[in-house]
Amino acid sequence: MTAPAFETDFWKDAALRKTWDQIIPGEPRKTLPYVLTLEAIHRYCRVVGDLHPLYFDEAYARNSVYGGLIAPPSIHILLMFSCTPADDWMRSPGTVNAGQSWSYHEPARPGDTIRLEARALDKFIKRDRLFVVHDNVFFNQHDQVICSGRGWTIRPA
Amino acid sequence: MTTAFDTLAPGQTITGTPFSPTRESIREFCEASLDFNPLHWDDDYMKGNFGRTHFGGIIMHGMNNFGVISKMLTDWLYPIGGRQRRLETRWKSPVKPGDTITPSAVINAVRTTEKSRWATLEVLVKNQRGETVASGEAMVEFPTAS
Repeated sequence: MTAPAFETDFWKDAALRKTWDQIIPGEPRKTLPYVLTLEAIHRYCRVVGDLHPLYFDEAYARNSVYGGLIAPPSIHILLMFSCTPADDWMRSPGTVNAGQSWSYHEPARPGDTIRLEARALDKFIKRDRLFVVHDNVFFNQHDQVICSGRGWTIRPA
Repeated sequence: MTTAFDTLAPGQTITGTPFSPTRESIREFCEASLDFNPLHWDDDYMKGNFGRTHFGGIIMHGMNNFGVISKMLTDWLYPIGGRQRRLETRWKSPVKPGDTITPSAVINAVRTTEKSRWATLEVLVKNQRGETVASGEAMVEFPTAS
């Protein structure tokens, strides 16, 4: 079975996504399991200029304390979009990222099946802007926490 | 057990690799992160106003900045047996194609707990004009078992 192609046109499902008014803090977001490939890790690493051998050199990584290749901590940037469906409100065009806070536990590894538990945690109005705080935890296939985090976004009015 | 922790002290500074986004690198970040928000690729869309904000052109993903900060931390930590345990960021100003951003961090405290050893850092990212584009805090661990 091949994974469905990722919809890169964020306007296409815009009408299906919850607006600030419709987002209910505490309500879970729909999520999808995602198999993290070495190719996806490398694509991400190259774009941010991070070519550390723990991500690229299997022999080096095997002999490290990690015992094998890992993904960089910030791989949750990719996981946020790969573990959510096209109608998730994080894709609403005009969503502005105001800040993030993440805690890291187990490193993600190539071949991991990643699961996300996510919800809106809070929403508020500040300086005439509509904010939503989202709360996320990524797990691996062993139900170990990879990382947990919150993001503050300004929603399109 | 790594002994690097014993050499850490408040005031010590680390500096990351400068990063210079281009229109192409921002597009590549869309592909790598799957974040295709038009803020990052649609010039016509970016001519508009966003509530009280006018960007005047496409902007780099805030999370690209997050990745640049995280690289600074892991480049410092991996060789000395440390681990990145927390990173909090606030985006202060947009980063645009043609800018060069450089992250840095200053250790503000070290702490030993019952089971491990920790340091906390203040994080800043500045652009080529010396303007702060991001600020934040990090927490790193130096496990006693490694």
